[in-house]
Parts: sequence; structure tokens; C-alpha cells
Amino acid sequence: MSASSPSAISTRSQEFWTGVRQELPLQLGVAPFGLVFGVLGLASGLTPLQTILLSSIVFGGASQVVFAQLWGAGVPAPVVGASVSVINLRHALYSASIAPYLRSLPLVWRIPLAYLLTDEAYAVTIHRLRNEPASPHQHYHLLGTGITLWVCWQLTTVTGVMFGSTIPQSWSLGFAIPLTFIALVAPAIRKRADLAACLTAGIISVVGQPLPWKSWIILAAIGGIAAGYLTHRHSNPETGA
Amino acid sequence: MIWLVMIACGIFTFATRFVMFSDVAPRQLPTWLQDALSFVPIAVLTAIIVPAVIVAPDGGLALVGNARLPAALVAVTVALFTRSVLATIATGLASLWCLDWLFY
Repeated sequence: MSASSPSAISTRSQEFWTGVRQELPLQLGVAPFGLVFGVLGLASGLTPLQTILLSSIVFGGASQVVFAQLWGAGVPAPVVGASVSVINLRHALYSASIAPYLRSLPLVWRIPLAYLLTDEAYAVTIHRLRNEPASPHQHYHLLGTGITLWVCWQLTTVTGVMFGSTIPQSWSLGFAIPLTFIALVAPAIRKRADLAACLTAGIISVVGQPLPWKSWIILAAIGGIAAGYLTHRHSNPETGA
Repeated sequence: MIWLVMIACGIFTFATRFVMFSDVAPRQLPTWLQDALSFVPIAVLTAIIVPAVIVAPDGGLALVGNARLPAALVAVTVALFTRSVLATIATGLASLWCLDWLFY
């Protein structure tokens, strides 16, 4: 889209297909993650149906991995639920940042768009909302990015489930999960506060190994968030609330 | 039981995505909460990465004779330079296979 003709208002299908097109390249990162989740779900002891439906019921990659690992390890349900919840809290940030553009829509739009609000769909659509001319149909852009990711995630989960049992253990495919997260975390560490969050979470996750119910996941997450926040407050006291 | 937990997790996750779209939501999250939430991805993902790389199945530290550790360091380097998920997974897995085959 060009900014040269502000009078030309984008159509529904232009917005939708722009969203689809801009979201597609990110599927290079989503697809292997979905495949590995499908494989890992079965390896953790979930049934094929549970693994596949987790991808549409929860629809959040990292939290699904943790769900499968904790459930497979016999962790009590409240701890599983709390761990998944902490991991997914970040969506409230995306929700807050994108809400000003969507709040006037009727509920029949806001509910599906909220369901489709993942890290990668948010990243692409917020860029469009902030940098391209406003349009009465701009929510179709989020529909396009959201559906693209949703379809890719469901298809790759199912593919992973179908081929999971045929992949030899010696391929160490489960290692692709930490590798995926390394690809997301390493470039995200820019400030001292980021490093503090990372180191604190890493140390607690190792030291906390003897704790019951794999509760080190939730403790390391909360400890890391606290360390990052406190370091941030310490380095930017003037912006404190 | 597992279905109940899955649905509960799904409802909560949806709620975190919908919360600010609702009619009763405040215009903005408080600054302190925005700042704190911005550290969720790094903290959570690191808590999953580190044990997957350096903890042995028995819960102890595995620093020696553990091909996952150097493979993860290769992956961190590739991630920093390429910012590509696919390149990071590919080089990380390839390193693990090579190291396993060569040394372990």
C-alpha cells in the first residue's frame, strides 16, 4: 500500500490479503515449532486428539509445550493451569496495545480477533495499524494475519502428530523446542533489565530442580519477571509509576 | 480431567487476549504492569531453555559430556547474527548430531 493517496480507502479484501501476505514469511519459524509440538505432545503421553485440540483450545505455542511436559510428568492440575497462565499473561500487553484500534467493533468481531491474537499476528498487524493510513476495514488485516498463523499452526500440529511416531529417538527432535526459544530470546536481550530477567530465570530453573511438581517453571518465570522489572525501575527511576 | 484443564487453560488464555477489548476495560494498563509484563517472554522461555540444555534426566547438572550445551551455544550465536528461527533450529540440531557422532 502506498501512503501517497490518503483518499483511497482500502477494501476488506485488500486488508485481509495484505495481512495474509505479510504473515506468511513468519511461518518459517511457526511451522517447525508446530511440527515439533505435535511430536512432543505424543511423546509426553497426550493422545493424538488431545495434542491436536490443544493447538486450537489454547493456541499458544510455548504454553502448550509446558502443558504437555507438565501433564506428562504427572504434575497436579492446579500447577499445570498456573504455569500455563503465567506464560500467557503477556497477551494482555498485546491486547492493551491493539485495543484502541478495535474497541469500537461489535463483539462478534472482538471475540474472534482476541482469540487470534498471537505473538506473530500481533507483531505484523500492529505495524500496519501504526504505520499505514487508518481504514474502516483495518481489522480485516488482523483477521488475515491471525487466520494465516492459525491454519499453519493447526496443519503443522496435525502433521507432527501423524509422523511423530515414525521419527527415531536418535534425531533428538525434542531439542528443537529449546532451540526455537533460543531464537526468540537471544535477539530480544537488549537492555540490562532483559539480561537480569534472563539470568535470574535461568538460575532459578536449575537450582529449583529438586522442587516438586516442576514448580521451578513458575518460580523461575516470576523471579525473572521480578528481576527484570526491578532492574528496569532502578535504571529508569523517572519513568516509574 | 485433562479435558477440563485444557479448557480452563484455553479460557484463561482467551481472557488474557480479550481483556483490553472488553467494554469495561480501562483505556490503558498501568505503567508498572506493562513494564512487568514485558519481561514475561524472556523469563518464561529462559526457564524452559536452560533446564532443557543443562539438566540431566535425574535432575542433576550435566555440564561435561553433554553435547546439548555446545550445540545450544552455537544456536545462541546463530540466533544473534541471523535472528532466524529456522537457521537457529537447523544449526543447533546439526551441531548436536555432529557432536554426538564425533565425541559422545
